[in-house]
Amino acid sequence: MRDVEIIGAGMVPFGKFPEKHLADIAWPAVKQAVEDAGIKKRDIEATYCGTALGGMMAGQRILKKLGITGLPIINIENACSSSSTAFREAWISVSAGVYDAVLVIGVEKLSKFGGGTLPLEKDDWEVSHGLVMPALYAMRARRYMYEYGLTENDIADVSVKARKHGVWNEDAQFRKEVTREEVLASRPVADPLKLFHCCPSGDGAAAVVICSAEKAKKYTTSPVRVIGSEINSGKYMTGYRDMTSPEITLRGAKQLYDEAGIGPEDIDLAEVHDAFAIAELLYYEALGFCSKGEAAQLLADGETSVGGKIPVNPSGGLLSKGHPIGSTGVAQIVEVVRQLRGQCGQRQVEGAKVGLTHCTGGGVSGFDHGVCSIHLFAR
Amino acid sequence: MNENVHQRLNLAGDAVQRDDDGKVWLVGSKCSACGKITFPPTEVCPECMSEKILPFKLSSHGTLYSWSLVHAAPKGWDLPFIAAYVDLSEEVRVFAHIVDADPSTLKMDMVVEACVASLGKDEAGDPFESYAFTPVKLGES
Repeated sequence: MRDVEIIGAGMVPFGKFPEKHLADIAWPAVKQAVEDAGIKKRDIEATYCGTALGGMMAGQRILKKLGITGLPIINIENACSSSSTAFREAWISVSAGVYDAVLVIGVEKLSKFGGGTLPLEKDDWEVSHGLVMPALYAMRARRYMYEYGLTENDIADVSVKARKHGVWNEDAQFRKEVTREEVLASRPVADPLKLFHCCPSGDGAAAVVICSAEKAKKYTTSPVRVIGSEINSGKYMTGYRDMTSPEITLRGAKQLYDEAGIGPEDIDLAEVHDAFAIAELLYYEALGFCSKGEAAQLLADGETSVGGKIPVNPSGGLLSKGHPIGSTGVAQIVEVVRQLRGQCGQRQVEGAKVGLTHCTGGGVSGFDHGVCSIHLFAR
Repeated sequence: MNENVHQRLNLAGDAVQRDDDGKVWLVGSKCSACGKITFPPTEVCPECMSEKILPFKLSSHGTLYSWSLVHAAPKGWDLPFIAAYVDLSEEVRVFAHIVDADPSTLKMDMVVEACVASLGKDEAGDPFESYAFTPVKLGES
């Protein structure tokens, strides 16, 4: 297996663009990544494109706009982990020596559904009985609050922190701070979760170019190394399961840390899957940033804000940056690349050397999550 | 005689049944090869892949693992509704609506019992129903 590096990154500001086609949303992100890499179109040997709901051959529809065609284009669906899965597959292909330089795209246009909760697969038993993603996270939240004595203020403060970071990110969908009171006064979605506890629906795209470490020297003097890549499906469980303990993230993080030979204490920043505010607290614990039951204290101490010990979601996270689901995995990676390069301005994590991205995907009953992919990067 | 409520636009089909006294229970599956009990019913065992599966009557009572008063859901559902996970003694967790309950009176791990309830309306405007759970009233089993 060869070392793999990221040589280019790009994304478009997330938002709602109902008048634009998917390809029109995505091509500027791809162009930005290719130009950032300084790579010629003809030297891109393959493309992996992740989208959950973007329809057939999204990659071809996007790349014909830029004339990057006549190469293998692989389209990948894995719910909210579609593009983290695409990145993982691209990494395998370069690592294995099949290709030297590969483009990875994440894209989604959720505005075509006209708002509301994320459409889920009706074949699923629980979905057919009315399960929606906010309700699932709300039930996690209620159980966690009960078992660890959290108040609604503790959960609201996740959103306050996310929005504060988002103010500093010009690619974020929400760039306005909110107070704890505003979070709690926002419209109820799935009690105890209010609107501001939930990521917004929206559209967006992100892209990166990866390259073998040997060839990367040709393009850049500041590559970002991929030092760990992990993906798992959840375990199907028909019986009782502890919904305060996300088994797929726990299992994946342990596997990744073991393989990379580093631990949570070595990580300078993390982009985690905060689709709903409660999730971020669960992931502090599952990723090993604190012990079980201590997440709210870690947040309250400011340790997960920019300037703290382990800044989480300096981009604003899904809550503030937005969550056009298929684009999220690569968008998280774009943020880590920019952080490790020191390009993040006011939200810059000083001296960041190691970054983590964590992306899940759910909506199938019996799983904690259907999929989770975690990556580690270093400069 | 048991009434199969499938004919009455029941989302759960044969997985919910009730007797003449109105007592309701869920029907899952039990694997004849390894004993694994599952809900919803299945035709192949997720533990050992055996297809020797028999219907299995589950407890009509369970405990409330968690719940949420849901205000946002696709068209058709009667809003708001209480979504919940209910744990049955057969080590089966069931997603269900909680009905006939004031959300402020719900308690973690409280005992709830199965019932059948109208949950929403289909595209033609006809009500559909399924199994649900409701808190056990004082003085009842």
